[in-house]
Amino acid sequence: MSDSIRDRLSSPGGHGEQNGGGDSSKSDITTSDFVQTDSRSSHGAAQTIAHAPTAEGPNALGGVGASGMSERGAELAVSSLFLLSLVGVIGFIVCYIAVPFDYGKANYEWYTPALGVFMTLALVGVGAGAVLWAKTLMVDEETVQERHPLASTDESKAETVAILKEGFDNTGLPRRKVLGLTMALGAGSLAILPIPLVFSLAKFQHKERTLSKTSWKAGSKLLDELGRPVKLGDLEVGGVKSVFPDVPGGRRAADSAALLIRMKPEDLKVKDSRKDWVQDGHIVYSVICTHLGCPVKLYEQQTHHLFCPCHQSTFDAANGAVPLFGPAARSLPQLAISVDADGYFVAQGDFTEPVGPSFWERKPSYSDKVGKA
Amino acid sequence: MTSIAEKAGAGTATWVDDRLGSSNFVKRSLNKVFPDHWSFMLGEIALYSFIVLLLTGTYLTLFFEGSSREVLYNGSYAPLKGIPMSAAYASTLHISFDVRGGLIMRQIHHWAALLFLASIVVHLMRVFFTGAFRKPRELNWIIGVLLLILGLLEGFAGYSLPDDLLSGTGLRIAYSIALSIPVIGTWAAFLVFGGEYPGGAIIERLYPIHILLVPGIILGLITFHMMLIWYQKHTQFAGPGRTETNVVGSRIYPAYAAKAGGFFFLVFGVMTALGGLAQINPIWLYGPYDPSQVSAGSQPDWYIGFLDGSTRLMPNWEISALGHTFSPNVLLPTQVLPGILFALMLFYPFLEAKFTKDKAYHNLLDRPRDKPVRTGLGAMSIAFYVILMIAGGNDIIARIFALSINEITYTLRVALFIVPPLVYVATKRICYSLQRADDELLHHGIESGTIRRLPSGEFVEEVVPLPSQYAVLLATTPERKELLAHQAQEHGHAISSKQRGFFRPRGGVLETPAPSEDKQLEGTVD
Repeated sequence: MSDSIRDRLSSPGGHGEQNGGGDSSKSDITTSDFVQTDSRSSHGAAQTIAHAPTAEGPNALGGVGASGMSERGAELAVSSLFLLSLVGVIGFIVCYIAVPFDYGKANYEWYTPALGVFMTLALVGVGAGAVLWAKTLMVDEETVQERHPLASTDESKAETVAILKEGFDNTGLPRRKVLGLTMALGAGSLAILPIPLVFSLAKFQHKERTLSKTSWKAGSKLLDELGRPVKLGDLEVGGVKSVFPDVPGGRRAADSAALLIRMKPEDLKVKDSRKDWVQDGHIVYSVICTHLGCPVKLYEQQTHHLFCPCHQSTFDAANGAVPLFGPAARSLPQLAISVDADGYFVAQGDFTEPVGPSFWERKPSYSDKVGKA
Repeated sequence: MTSIAEKAGAGTATWVDDRLGSSNFVKRSLNKVFPDHWSFMLGEIALYSFIVLLLTGTYLTLFFEGSSREVLYNGSYAPLKGIPMSAAYASTLHISFDVRGGLIMRQIHHWAALLFLASIVVHLMRVFFTGAFRKPRELNWIIGVLLLILGLLEGFAGYSLPDDLLSGTGLRIAYSIALSIPVIGTWAAFLVFGGEYPGGAIIERLYPIHILLVPGIILGLITFHMMLIWYQKHTQFAGPGRTETNVVGSRIYPAYAAKAGGFFFLVFGVMTALGGLAQINPIWLYGPYDPSQVSAGSQPDWYIGFLDGSTRLMPNWEISALGHTFSPNVLLPTQVLPGILFALMLFYPFLEAKFTKDKAYHNLLDRPRDKPVRTGLGAMSIAFYVILMIAGGNDIIARIFALSINEITYTLRVALFIVPPLVYVATKRICYSLQRADDELLHHGIESGTIRRLPSGEFVEEVVPLPSQYAVLLATTPERKELLAHQAQEHGHAISSKQRGFFRPRGGVLETPAPSEDKQLEGTVD
């Protein structure tokens, strides 16, 4: 092993040309005896920095290496680690085939851990073996290499500038101003070319109108999560129910999910303009948080607080769902409801303001008048 | 047998060399010297994690379907049978329950992503605190910060792909954040998502971004990062014989390469152990995305946590005027704050050089204590970051410790502005104290533990001068170098001022023959 290093270093190949970078890896490495006087020369005589015993050294066999492990022991340990990889690979293949895999079968949950254990053995065996080999059995001399200066010489820089300038002059650009101008215009305009393509990413939609509309329509029944219409009396005082508009796709519409809450009518503070938006202590709010759009559904019965699990905005359901805490700045929009002839809850119309997070085009004020369209 | 192999090898090598002249390059590369220090492995971990991500990720693409097309699940996982869901979610379930080895690959992939970003962050701290970003390595610092930012994007895109309840919530938040951009917010959000949320195109778009675009850029930047390390040569800590103009370490071949190669497999092994034994992101428990559902305790992957925290701490400032709505409560913590943080990070090397008027080349690393202001700034930044991270888990903390979430939030809001400056001052003071301790060691030496009684009856502890190979580690300032040189003159402990060449032959010229009593310390040099 060290033979090869010695051969390499002292062979003619070791005399390679000085590379441009300035690694001074040439003449010095031809010396027959590799000992090095590096920094430690300051406090000791010339000494070899090799960290591992050389094969022909005094402790070639059964000797003790730098790590305190005998060479024989080290070889054994490294070989065992490499064999451990083989065991890991075999184990991996066996487990891949033999461990129950199908969901629900007995012991199926051991499939992934079993693969993991053997794959880990396979990888760690090779990895630890290589590292241990390098640390115990390979010659690892501390070596000094000079850094090459990074900056070019002034002459080189001047030459480069001269070449650039000459080439630039040769293009004729300094004399033909029109060429330069038209090139800048033509080539520069290429930067604009892809911009229209960006607008293919979405069909044009009027932003404010789109964001202001949900699936709720006048007369839409309030459906629960299973699609059953909700009736007056389905909910106890203190109860809540997720409700969705009775339209195709209403259950999955990202902007239409709402929450029906029932509290004692005397607990409910309602603005005069919204007196007929509630029915017998039943009130409906959009669950799309006015902060970042998470569903606000955690309802605290005692305090009438609605809590958003994403960023902890808290809204007062008994008082127009005004924000009490957290980063949300606006109340949850309220849906005006009434009860139809059969006792089912229906929406009086869509929300009167955009649900969910704020956006630039959102108008500061919205009226409390429900459009019956 | 050996001779045949040797002949074949030599033949191939000759064939290649005849055409490429590769021998010179190979020889130079194999002889390249790398300094050794445990902290230099942190970047290696990041590199190896990325390779693991490429390997496992490529396997996952063979099964994953990046589509929001609705399907009825009909796989092995009984609890979700017959439930409508996106093809993306269904194929992730397929990988987890119907592909042998699919789940472990998915989990290794996710763990590797977490470790990729974690090792980048720790590597970045190493580079920062040791001043490795200084001239001539500012470009590599910038590439590193870009890699961190791209890593964050890549991670977010990746965990959004399965379209489960958790990741869908994250995507909706991302959409809402885009909405908050003044003037162009709705345009940006609609164009990215393909219309009003959910838009129906985001999974389809994130997929090529996650598996082609961003990893391609990351791969290119990593290559450039490595080439610059190679060309500019690695920095090293001060030590015996180490100067600004040399590199002291191991040649790359064979031991260094064996260690680095082995380390790759060890890193891969650790990730495999995690992927096999530690469950991560069990999307089947979250269920498919439903815009009306969210589970309490929804936390993003750790590297997004600081932004989640800043969003939670932000007061609800919103301005509605002149027919428009402007939302600092969203804009500041999610866009302005990371923008400022990453800009500061990108330009830090230039800011420091400007304020310290330091235009010199630096190849020797600083010890953090020797640069109290920089170390203080770094510690301050970490404190700021950690508070944001804690804020990102304020609901979890409130639940575990049965505390009021409001009080935690108010406390953290105050702490975010009070604690970092305190940390800065404390760190600076600790640095100065450590410097004084070093000075003490250099001037007076080590307390030997031997108590001697003087004829006068007085007891004194004997002090041993610091051995030169340790003293040189501390010689980090001009004053100390001068002191050491002075001591060397007095006691004959010279610090070799110059190292010549690649190797020096035995009997090379020594500046000062060293005294023999230091021989006994040789064994402990490393």
